[in-house]
Amino acid sequence: MASLLRSLILLLIVQSFLFAIAFGSNEVEEFSEALLLKPLPDRKVLAHFHFENRAPPSNSHGRHHHLFPKAISQLVQKFRVKEMELSFTQGRWNHEHWGGFDPLSSMNAKPVGVELWAVFDVPQSQVDTSWKNLTHALSGLFCASINFLESSTSYAAPTWGFGPNSDKLRYGSLPREAVCTENLTPWLKLLPCRDKDGISALMNRPSVYRGFYHSQRLHLSTVESGQEGLASGIVLEQTLTVVLQPETTSVESNMQPSWSISSLFGRKVVGRCVLAKSSNVYLQLEGLLGHELKNVDTEIEAHELWKNAEFELSLKPERVLRESSSFLFIFDIDKSSDSEPFDLGLTWKLPSKWSCQQAPLHASRFLMGSGNERGAIAILLKATESQEKLSGRDLTNGHCTIKANIFQIFPWYIKVYYHSLQIFVDQQQTTDSEVLKKINVSPSTDKVSSGMMEMMLELPCEVKSVAISIEYDKGFLHIDEYPPDANQGFDIPSALISFPNHHASLDFQEELSKSPLLSSFKEKSLVRSYTEVLLVPLTTPDFSMPYNVITITCTIFALYFGSLLNVLRRRIGEEERFLKSQGKKTGGRLKQLLSRITAKIRGRPNEEQSSSESPAAQSSVLSSKLIFKIILVAGAAAAWQYFSTDK
Amino acid sequence: MKILLILGLLLCYSFVSSSGDTTIHTNNWAVLVCTSRFWFNYRHMANTLSLYRTVKRLGIPDERIILMLADDMACNARNEYPAQVFNNENHKLNLYGDNVEVDYRGYEVTVENFLRVLTGRHENAVPRSKRLLSDEGSHILLYMTGHGGDEFLKFQDAEELQSHDLADAVKQMKEKRRFKELMIMVDTCQAATLFNQLQSPGVLAIGSSLKGENSYSHHLDSDIGVSVVDRFTYYTLAFFERLNIYDNASLNSLFRSYDPRLLMSTAYYRTDLYQPHLVEVPVTNFFGSVMETIHTNSAYKAFSSKISNSKSNPEMPLNQLSEHDANIPNDELKNEKQKCPYSQMRADLHKKLEKLENVDTVVNLSIAVMVVVVMVSSSLLR
Repeated sequence: MASLLRSLILLLIVQSFLFAIAFGSNEVEEFSEALLLKPLPDRKVLAHFHFENRAPPSNSHGRHHHLFPKAISQLVQKFRVKEMELSFTQGRWNHEHWGGFDPLSSMNAKPVGVELWAVFDVPQSQVDTSWKNLTHALSGLFCASINFLESSTSYAAPTWGFGPNSDKLRYGSLPREAVCTENLTPWLKLLPCRDKDGISALMNRPSVYRGFYHSQRLHLSTVESGQEGLASGIVLEQTLTVVLQPETTSVESNMQPSWSISSLFGRKVVGRCVLAKSSNVYLQLEGLLGHELKNVDTEIEAHELWKNAEFELSLKPERVLRESSSFLFIFDIDKSSDSEPFDLGLTWKLPSKWSCQQAPLHASRFLMGSGNERGAIAILLKATESQEKLSGRDLTNGHCTIKANIFQIFPWYIKVYYHSLQIFVDQQQTTDSEVLKKINVSPSTDKVSSGMMEMMLELPCEVKSVAISIEYDKGFLHIDEYPPDANQGFDIPSALISFPNHHASLDFQEELSKSPLLSSFKEKSLVRSYTEVLLVPLTTPDFSMPYNVITITCTIFALYFGSLLNVLRRRIGEEERFLKSQGKKTGGRLKQLLSRITAKIRGRPNEEQSSSESPAAQSSVLSSKLIFKIILVAGAAAAWQYFSTDK
Repeated sequence: MKILLILGLLLCYSFVSSSGDTTIHTNNWAVLVCTSRFWFNYRHMANTLSLYRTVKRLGIPDERIILMLADDMACNARNEYPAQVFNNENHKLNLYGDNVEVDYRGYEVTVENFLRVLTGRHENAVPRSKRLLSDEGSHILLYMTGHGGDEFLKFQDAEELQSHDLADAVKQMKEKRRFKELMIMVDTCQAATLFNQLQSPGVLAIGSSLKGENSYSHHLDSDIGVSVVDRFTYYTLAFFERLNIYDNASLNSLFRSYDPRLLMSTAYYRTDLYQPHLVEVPVTNFFGSVMETIHTNSAYKAFSSKISNSKSNPEMPLNQLSEHDANIPNDELKNEKQKCPYSQMRADLHKKLEKLENVDTVVNLSIAVMVVVVMVSSSLLR
């Protein structure tokens, strides 16, 4: 009976446990990893690592997490971050050859150095404090000097020019921040498998940092649960985009280089990260003109596509998907093992040429003027070839227009004159109201806050070039404010050009709910591009000048007072008299003895031999005087003491 | 009379605290600083990273190492080997590895931040990884390299740390009970002059060169194009490469391993502030993290008594003193407090005077005696 009861209880417990699992199945933390490889037209290869970690909006987890990094969830809880993006980048994205109108470039082409923006869920008055604390926490987490963004001179609060519209948004960037292993390692530590297993094991530091461009990005957003009493869920997206140059052995210059994963990274994938829900490798090939006309939709077609006259893949893909101009080969790394590592390779057989889709306008920025006093910043927008093909035109009032937002931060020592803003459309100066639809300016305050400019331009579609120029004066810094390498110049952070009517997306027409990488491509993302960082030489003082001034002043004073004293004290007649008297006098024994004793008392070496008798005699007299004085003072003191105590 | 009693209590108290042996060694910290910017100072970063690797290998974890690097050499555009730093031209060992944590880098390496780390005076927002969270039982290794001169060390070619600054910071650390033993190792020109102003007990200092001597680099790597290591650090590492965490090599053997002919300078060490004999101190006391294991039959008893002794804080105001004592749930200490009238004190005084080993106690005693004399004389004068 007792055993029956026990088994019944056991059954109940097991059942309830199973029930709990079944109930909470859609509330589990999910992690997925993916790698996208893409040959680029200029004989390079792009590798895009994508990791997504989702923590569901649930209170049952409390502060405990299975897969989700604790550091990030604490960050979100403590600073009440609604959305945040942090990127570490070195190198410049080549918009012409690497693409400017696809989700990959619009999300992963980042400005050089560190860029951070965050939206907070706190009252307006506390946003700046939260931002300050967040920068410090991130600097500790990612081994970078992000804490320099805490000062109000280095960040700004964009209203509509940046992208996400919020008055609780803060944006800052550090163009000169170095990016290296110490930033990647903590970023990898946020992954459940770190860099030990799965796709992340490919990240061999020397090969990643040898690339032409590397951008490491961390994007997190909170998902409101919509229910009372539940904490919000967090989606953490981590991407690393690298552009690498495969080593070529082929002599032909127009032949695309052949490569494999092991030749790019020096490592192979041995098995997936077991904690990941999905781990896939994708290969995207663009502009295969020979195959574009065919209707690829079946497995049979995929069968012959991976080995054809033009190129050959070393592994057979699971599936092939196509978009309007590109093919996507999907590989599953589940099958790889230690004995048979996953090493995808691409071998080209015929020379191949294609071009990438471009953003409607290509942006660049440069400095004008000379000298150390003033200058001008010019932003040049040039029409690209693909402009005609674009679908994102806006037909308002019968005119075809392109909208472009420009967002720019100026450090306070670049004192911009906003009245000097000039816009040239096709080399013709235009009045502002023609193309400039909206402008928002917050001027800088010296040593307090940086300046910010947001502009919305509406340009005719057939525009060939637009130039925007604005003049500035260079400010003077206090001597303490100069960095140690001030002679190198100062950086003006990148300007951001975004096209609000153009959205990039890649839709592979497939229910890919299980692949976060493809679903993120499917989402329409704003087309944006960052301009170059500008290097402004400011007037730098001669830092050794204070020292020079002190030394020269001291020398002059010494010379002046020395000669003055010499003139005042010298008595020529006295010297002559002294010399005469020296000739007359002869030494007595007693005096010699006295001088010896006084020398001893005074602690000086006996100058008997070198010096003459007369000063010795003088000194003996002096010493007796001295002794007398001491006795007098001591007596006075004793008397004083006696009388004062008596009273 | 009341005053006298309190005075006696205070005196008793200072005896307990002044003998530093009661604090047990709790943990090891390392502060490794490379103060030089620019590519041609590659060797200074390699020096620092070599020490970083050594102390990590000998057991100090990353969270107890504060690493300050004034420039980025590993991913510098001039570095032919991206994400790698070498300290030898054979390129066998990549010092940058896959797991390096740099706490302060670039423009953050300033004299101000350095002194803040030592003295622990940070803004509230500064994360734990950037703080030196040592306690009164900590052994700290402070390694600095860069360009220096007579009583100063340059930071980033822009500002200087003077020997007075260093001595003041160390003194403040001592007063704040941030270390038990501190070892300062400096590899610069005229490194010995940087220690001139030090006066806090428990500090051991070693420098690469005497006043008027230069510190030279060891060799040039023609692939990288610059010198990769300094002589003093090179021979320090040569000593440590032979060791593992279980070795018992003493500090004395380390100090004797420096050969002036090889260094081309004279290694100088200052031991007058450091009481233990160098022959008995293993190098892992500073360069590693080897804890003394205390065996106890009953759980926590022996340990807690030691801790409670060490916890006593002499800087507390007088009126809180008794309260503080009462809080300690240890009978031994209470007994000691009850035994403490004037006669007992005098006996203690006598004993201590006979030993005359500890200078601090003598100073404490003499101060107390002076107070008594002043009080007596003032009462007589009235």
